[in-house]
Amino acid sequence: MTLSTEIREKARELLASGQVRTVIGYEEGLRGRTRPAFVTDVDDVERLVWNRACTHNLTTYLPGRLRPPHQSNGAGPDERVAIVAKPCDSRAINVHLAEQRYTRDQLHIIGVACAGIVEGAGESRPEKDGPLQARCQACTERTPVIYDTLIGEAPPVTEVADPVGEKMAELEAMTPAGRMEFWLGHFDRCLRCYACRQVCPACNCPTCLYERDDSLWTGMAIRLQEKRAFHLGRAYHLAGRCIGCDECERVCPVNIPISLLNRCLSAELERSYGFRAGEAPVPSPVTTMLSGEEG
Amino acid sequence: MNRARANRMMPQLARLVTVRDMAPEIKMFGVELLNGNGAEFAGTRPGQFAFISAFGTGEAPFGIASTPGRGPVLEFAVQRLGAVTTALHELGEGNMVGIRGPLGNCFPMKAFEEKDLLVLGGGVGGAPLRPVLHTILDNRADYGHLTILWAARHPSLLLYREEYDDWRSAASTELHLTVDEPDQDWDGDVGLITELLQKIDPSPRNTVAITCGPPVMIYYVDRLLAEMGFAPDQRYVTLEARMHCGLGQCGRCNLGEKLICVDGPVFSMAEVEQMRESYL
Amino acid sequence: MKIISQGALTELLDQVAREKRLIAPVEEAGTIRYRPVGGSGEIAFDFARPLLSIKEAFFPPTETLLTIARNGGQVTLQEVMPEEEQVIFGVRPCDARGVKALDAVFSGERVPPDPYYGRRRQQTTLIGLACREMGETCFCTSVGGAPDEAGNVDLMLTEVEDGYAVEAITSRGESLLQGMTLTDVTGAPSPPRLNDPVPVPAAGAWAEQFEDAFWAALGERCLSCRLCAYVCPTCRCFDVRDEPLPAGQTQPDPQTQYLERVRCWDSCTGANYRRVAGGHNPRAEEGERLRNRFFCKFDFYPQQYGPLACTGCGRCIDVCPVNVDVTEVLAAVAAMVPVKIPEEVSA
Repeated sequence: MTLSTEIREKARELLASGQVRTVIGYEEGLRGRTRPAFVTDVDDVERLVWNRACTHNLTTYLPGRLRPPHQSNGAGPDERVAIVAKPCDSRAINVHLAEQRYTRDQLHIIGVACAGIVEGAGESRPEKDGPLQARCQACTERTPVIYDTLIGEAPPVTEVADPVGEKMAELEAMTPAGRMEFWLGHFDRCLRCYACRQVCPACNCPTCLYERDDSLWTGMAIRLQEKRAFHLGRAYHLAGRCIGCDECERVCPVNIPISLLNRCLSAELERSYGFRAGEAPVPSPVTTMLSGEEG
Repeated sequence: MNRARANRMMPQLARLVTVRDMAPEIKMFGVELLNGNGAEFAGTRPGQFAFISAFGTGEAPFGIASTPGRGPVLEFAVQRLGAVTTALHELGEGNMVGIRGPLGNCFPMKAFEEKDLLVLGGGVGGAPLRPVLHTILDNRADYGHLTILWAARHPSLLLYREEYDDWRSAASTELHLTVDEPDQDWDGDVGLITELLQKIDPSPRNTVAITCGPPVMIYYVDRLLAEMGFAPDQRYVTLEARMHCGLGQCGRCNLGEKLICVDGPVFSMAEVEQMRESYL
Repeated sequence: MKIISQGALTELLDQVAREKRLIAPVEEAGTIRYRPVGGSGEIAFDFARPLLSIKEAFFPPTETLLTIARNGGQVTLQEVMPEEEQVIFGVRPCDARGVKALDAVFSGERVPPDPYYGRRRQQTTLIGLACREMGETCFCTSVGGAPDEAGNVDLMLTEVEDGYAVEAITSRGESLLQGMTLTDVTGAPSPPRLNDPVPVPAAGAWAEQFEDAFWAALGERCLSCRLCAYVCPTCRCFDVRDEPLPAGQTQPDPQTQYLERVRCWDSCTGANYRRVAGGHNPRAEEGERLRNRFFCKFDFYPQQYGPLACTGCGRCIDVCPVNVDVTEVLAAVAAMVPVKIPEEVSA
């Protein structure tokens, strides 16, 4: 049985038994592109696929779709969903659980043992046997860290390369002024399209700090000083929460190395706190969780 | 629309000549343009709106709550809800604001002549209806019987209380008030405006109904009016949406192919029912 | 046909760059953008379609409308009008058609003309460049355009063997060619390679499809980013707000507060696009917002202003992170069974 078939069978079982209302997975779209799929009907499970172009981090849809347990008037349409999750994606689920976006019992996680996603995934007709994305080249975990059903067998880790790590080393060798010049040069091209924020599972504030109507922290102008605030601020807000799916960088139309920026902060968290986001449903050590009982 | 000024995005400078508390979080602003209210505002008709600038924050659209027939000062009811209205509420008499307008279409008062009028206002939605009432009262003989239903959540939120005696004492005019929650001094009706409307049970014969208030109020009132036999072209509403230009360019305020700033804000229900997109 | 050699063209462009602002396709971090250039040497002549359209030359992502100076109770306003004359080289026919569509909103009959857009339009010369073939995601021919459509630019170029076939469309285009050596050659440029057409339902046919469940399903994967609107040659939704002057600008009087009123790109796909102060959001669902975007392009905009608000450039297809594809939407709408809305029952 192919992995696609296994996923379809599982989806059929979960939907038919009423255990979940929706299965969030992948399907083949136009022009040979793989894209997110939302299946609610048993007759539709044939749409679901698994292939080397399943790049999207589907967990980004979860906070919006699931009714949060502590909000009685939660807006989400689903009580319980199944989600197809790669190892990296599964760590985002732990981040969500740590932050109480939803509860564990609201998910049936169809974890997929992953051999890596190819460069060009998401675009037209990617080479299904082509070179792997940078995050996959550096990846050493082939099994999701949290799942209910596991599809596939973890392929062995053979070669590990870290192209982003190399770039990080270059950055660390720069002076602070040089580093700032490097980043401002990239941010200058930014359009404030917010694709990076919208695709990110960790960015789920109801109203983004950088989009407030009252211009409290930044204005809305698409100018360098605003864009610097947005990117650096977002990177800090992701510290200890970003699981390195690199979808932000994939979707950026102007090729800003956003995942490099997030990696720098993740590396700092590992160095200073020995912490890696999403290994367990534990909040980032640099965020403060209020219990509500503070005086 | 007066095209005298070439740059319709440039506000005209104006001074707040009156700032008065009308209700909790609702202030009345009386505005006079620095260079006189000019030809444009002298021609303001009931239903039109203007953008008020709180310089430093931005601008927002407000229904013009006055008629030029009663004086040159432009009056607005401003409820504090967001960035611009909060900035406006921090201003006092003598402060400068910007004004762009008058914008939008208007109530077809000529077409309403010789008809009976049923005017329904909910909360701050009463403000854009005030020039309709003033026009009728100042030209009383031109219009038929006037029935006013005025509602709010609480007595303190009823607008223009100081005018009720004037309204009541006009010929062939009746005023009915209702609140959702009374206070200890309230001796009038308690309940939703739909309940009051049902109680009054007006005849739709030769009558036009005009409703303004929160979208959900407009919905239920309008549905009831339809059940009572008011045809779509006998029911008028004034709608609102978030706006940024008021000129039909920024694209934001569309309901289907209609733009609220240019094709509205006044619509007959005959038009609204053609719209695929709901105003809710 | 009249031919201008590559050498003569670069000479022409260098001269333009000396006298005015020349905007041309430039390679930038792995993308092609229309940018101001100092000379022809900076131009990426071999390009398909820049990431963003020339829309930004007329309707910039951020534009100062006026400045506000506040001192005590005094306020002074100053209109800020664009001044510079610009020439844009390498305008693809789809982008030129896009500007024509924007003209209907900003310089048209239906609503007051926008002087900022109007000034830029007046001060800009367009040098078009025909496409030799339609790209993977192009469908200009399905929306009334063509890869070699010349009508909306001032000067039209088509690549041929020894340079470019050149045609002056307007007197501005004529004056650009003053003093240029052109060769007369018999024949015409070979026609461009076309894609198969895509069905585009007519403006009147869309209304019945408004209630279809298709839109909610499409919206499920939409991320509500703004990429489609920002890369689009015809999307023109904007936001207006007052903000402090950007850092680094001179502030002559320390007692005065200087602000500016800016207008910035926005998109109806954004979650809070229609949210009013107080919290109500009439388009709270992604599907409702996407539906509005597609209806606006093919139904509302033509009814309001005249032209279609889609030029078939295919940029939105290229950039969408989750493969929302306008050609797929068009085919779906064309195939939809019309939904009959029950008549309102009146007493």
